[in-house]
Amino acid sequence: MDSLRNSLQRLDPRSGHGADEPVSREREGNRFAQLRGSDFVESIPFWLPATLLVLLFVYGAIGWNVAISFTGWSGLGQPDYTNFTLEMYRQMPADQNFRASLRNTVALLVAFTSVSLVVGLGLALLVDRKIRFENTFRTIYLLPMALSFVVTAIFWSWMYASDGLINTTLAAVGLEALAFDWLGDPRFKLAAVIFALVWQFSGYCMIVYLAGLRSIPDDHYEAARIDGASTLTLYRRVIIPQLRSSTIGATVVLMVFALKAFDFIYVMFGDNPGRSADILAVTMYRQAFSASEWAYGAAIAVVLFALALTIIGPYAYTQYKRGAL
Amino acid sequence: MATETSDESGLTGTVSDLSLNRVALYGALLAFVGLYLSPLYSGLTTSFKTQQAFTQTSPLQPPIELLPVPHLEGFTIDPWLTAGSELAFSMINSFAMVIPATVLSALLGSLTAYGLTKVDWRGQAFLLALFLAAVFIPYQAVLVPLRQFWSIVDISSLHERGELVELTITHIAYGIPICTILFRSYYQTLDDELIEAARLDGASLARIYRKIVLPLSLPMFAVTLIYQFTQVWNDFLFALVLLSNRANYVVTLELNALQGSMATDYGVQMAGAFIAALPTILVYIMFGEQFAKGQTL
Amino acid sequence: MADLTLDDVSKVFVENDGNEITAVDDVSLEIDDGEFLVLVGPSGCGKSTTLRMVAGLETVSSGEIRLDDRVINDRQPKERDIAMVFQSYALYPHMTVRENMSFGLEESTDMPDDEIASVVAEAAEMLGIDELLDRKPDDLSGGQQQRVALGRAIVRDPEVFLLDEPLSNLDAKLRAQMRTELQRLQEELDVATIYVTHDQTEAMTMADKIAILDDGQLQQVGTPLECYHEPENLFVAGFIGEPSMNFFDVSLDTADERLVHDDFDYALSAETQSALDGTEALVLGIRPEDISIGGDADDDHRYETVVDVVEPMGNENNVYLTFEEGDGSETFVATIDGLERVEEGERVVAHVPEDAIHVFDRRTGRALRNRRLESETATEPQL
Repeated sequence: MDSLRNSLQRLDPRSGHGADEPVSREREGNRFAQLRGSDFVESIPFWLPATLLVLLFVYGAIGWNVAISFTGWSGLGQPDYTNFTLEMYRQMPADQNFRASLRNTVALLVAFTSVSLVVGLGLALLVDRKIRFENTFRTIYLLPMALSFVVTAIFWSWMYASDGLINTTLAAVGLEALAFDWLGDPRFKLAAVIFALVWQFSGYCMIVYLAGLRSIPDDHYEAARIDGASTLTLYRRVIIPQLRSSTIGATVVLMVFALKAFDFIYVMFGDNPGRSADILAVTMYRQAFSASEWAYGAAIAVVLFALALTIIGPYAYTQYKRGAL
Repeated sequence: MATETSDESGLTGTVSDLSLNRVALYGALLAFVGLYLSPLYSGLTTSFKTQQAFTQTSPLQPPIELLPVPHLEGFTIDPWLTAGSELAFSMINSFAMVIPATVLSALLGSLTAYGLTKVDWRGQAFLLALFLAAVFIPYQAVLVPLRQFWSIVDISSLHERGELVELTITHIAYGIPICTILFRSYYQTLDDELIEAARLDGASLARIYRKIVLPLSLPMFAVTLIYQFTQVWNDFLFALVLLSNRANYVVTLELNALQGSMATDYGVQMAGAFIAALPTILVYIMFGEQFAKGQTL
Repeated sequence: MADLTLDDVSKVFVENDGNEITAVDDVSLEIDDGEFLVLVGPSGCGKSTTLRMVAGLETVSSGEIRLDDRVINDRQPKERDIAMVFQSYALYPHMTVRENMSFGLEESTDMPDDEIASVVAEAAEMLGIDELLDRKPDDLSGGQQQRVALGRAIVRDPEVFLLDEPLSNLDAKLRAQMRTELQRLQEELDVATIYVTHDQTEAMTMADKIAILDDGQLQQVGTPLECYHEPENLFVAGFIGEPSMNFFDVSLDTADERLVHDDFDYALSAETQSALDGTEALVLGIRPEDISIGGDADDDHRYETVVDVVEPMGNENNVYLTFEEGDGSETFVATIDGLERVEEGERVVAHVPEDAIHVFDRRTGRALRNRRLESETATEPQL
């Protein structure tokens, strides 16, 4: 009898409603899973043109690029698609420039991503403390994101110049010993680039984290306070763990950006920044468009693409699994 | 709230400690403001300095000195005039390219998101995954084929402005994925029953888009247009690869060329950077809210 | 004006992983012109899917939907001559009330503008929203939005009127008020109507005919009183009525002519026993209002019980009774007059009259015997 009662409880319309209603939507089927043949046909004009453009320009081009990387195409003339070879990939390991720029790319990726996240989180926590003029502060921190890398590279070239703001400020406070030739000294080149890129991107991290912070209900702060947590504990144990998805989203964006960071370095140093600051994106351009080593450039682009895939792939997959698509 | 918490934790106790906390907070915020604005500040001061003032004063110092007596000897707007005349044609090129590229990619993104979100059929999720992945693709992976493609579909041979058309189409194609994803996230929040009601009211898919979805998407159009405008205006890579005729240079490319030709004249470089950035800075200041929204979606 | 027929209608969804889910399973229904049919069932029973198939928002996997003699399975929603009121009202937020109400006529008819305007004005007056015509939906209260949604459907002058939980977003007071108003409106329009709800109170009070759906299958179709007093199975018996019917798992002892439960025995008349047809595993059902309290435990259908909890409702009390004090023994509920005083812990005698009992086959759930219904003594349904 108990089991019967239990099974009937499920049917009790009073206990059922509110919470069950979304479930019913699911059980009664995806609302749009109604494939009406005519709807599909009618919807084609809406998505097909854009889809074709994307398939051609993005995926078609990627495939084409892979194909080119298997040819030995260089110089003037056209690629020969009849003779595929792995030669381009074979020569990579021995290419000192390639190895240096791969190393620099990974260093840039790791340092830029982690520092940007930390600075962005710090900014978000500062801005989130019910401050006055919050909008103004936010606007200033995010401003660099609205600027072109060409613009920021020009600003920072001047910042880093021997008589630029950084060195003159250091001199003014008696730290002349720390005034270096930031963009000329191989020891600092990459770090200088990373610092400037962090400057440009930390505001982005800030707003991602702010959005995450704002989505945490006030109850959590209040509950933690009633539990007697100090501010530090509150953030460390309650708030920051809830920013996980913000962190993942921002990390993917930053890492993918780091892979293709081209404009900034190109404008600062031209197409050959030297071993200490060369990255794959620049090497690729130099090989293909400056040296006309098209196939080799394409092969480096394939490596870049593969690196990006290792970052995007898992992200897109988890998004898909979570039904976020 | 935060200050009260530290109060309860027993670390601090008095009102003056609390305000001290607050002072430290604003101190940190202002220090960051200094850091974030310093490159712009040094650029701004430098762009208004005469050559003499430039060599004699630190970039920290403004060109106008008020003490001991106000004098304007170091102040000039010449760098701005020089940079302005150098960049003028490329600004026009940029606008001519950016406006159609932005509007068309946003419109196509909206239409695609509508077709893939509000009308369902199998394979949607797959297509959307392709669009999402396309947002993140490093453009280096398509540069060589892109150059090949536009040498085959050679619009530039038809007209001297053909290169700009090629660049515009390229930006539209590569802008579609992010625009679609932005609109899709918005359309997902749109009540499905609204669309169904319109269908029962007898409207076709096109009419539903035109009469219901489009009017309701206007806020999202603002976000997307601002995002795309900033992206396309600021682009350098595609322009670098596709534009060869100096007359077709967009402003980012011309600014880079300016930097090369005026390597020592930081004043002109800085003024040029500001001029090139002005449209995006204005858009950013006027539509900061929408700009931030586009970045976080 | 038309009759709507559903003939063995099924809906099968195929999930992403390839699993098939039958949301609606061979449902057959007839809704006559002017009839108000309420489709009721718990969440996820398939009632909304059924409605959406009629609307044309969902394809029909098998079976036929007919309007008079025309099969409308493959017609576009707009070609079906139906109008629908959505749960969320689905008012177009950027249009005024007038534009909302005109939109359907503009899209699906050739009606000239001035005629549309007069139809809209007429419907608005009928619903008492003529003052609101130039406002936007966001400026309206929930009740007003509800009226606009109704108005939008009415102006279409449809053959069939579909309502999907239209009152669920209103507060309790307004819901009761709109219930009567909807009924009045439907009578005035005199058009076949399907009304979907999970709320059995709405079903009982509004329907000409109730169709009860569970797990995609039609359980019973009948007038509210038929469903209440003569449920065809356990599900309907438990679903309709508030508080729910009491159920006891019992077995039939043919030798002693009684039903045996862990806590009590229930003697059966020959007449009742013959209805059971020798089935042994049974469920005994009794509506709370059919149990009375008082008297002595001197005959077969009176039992010593202990009052566990009393829920005073004002006009009546719901009294939860157990056979023995302490845990272990289950409670059942009796509804007694609100002025009768009963204390928790008090020992009372509960009377379960034989003419009011229902007996179900425990295995199939089918009703073997329903309460005896003499029209003049039939108790009012308790909702």
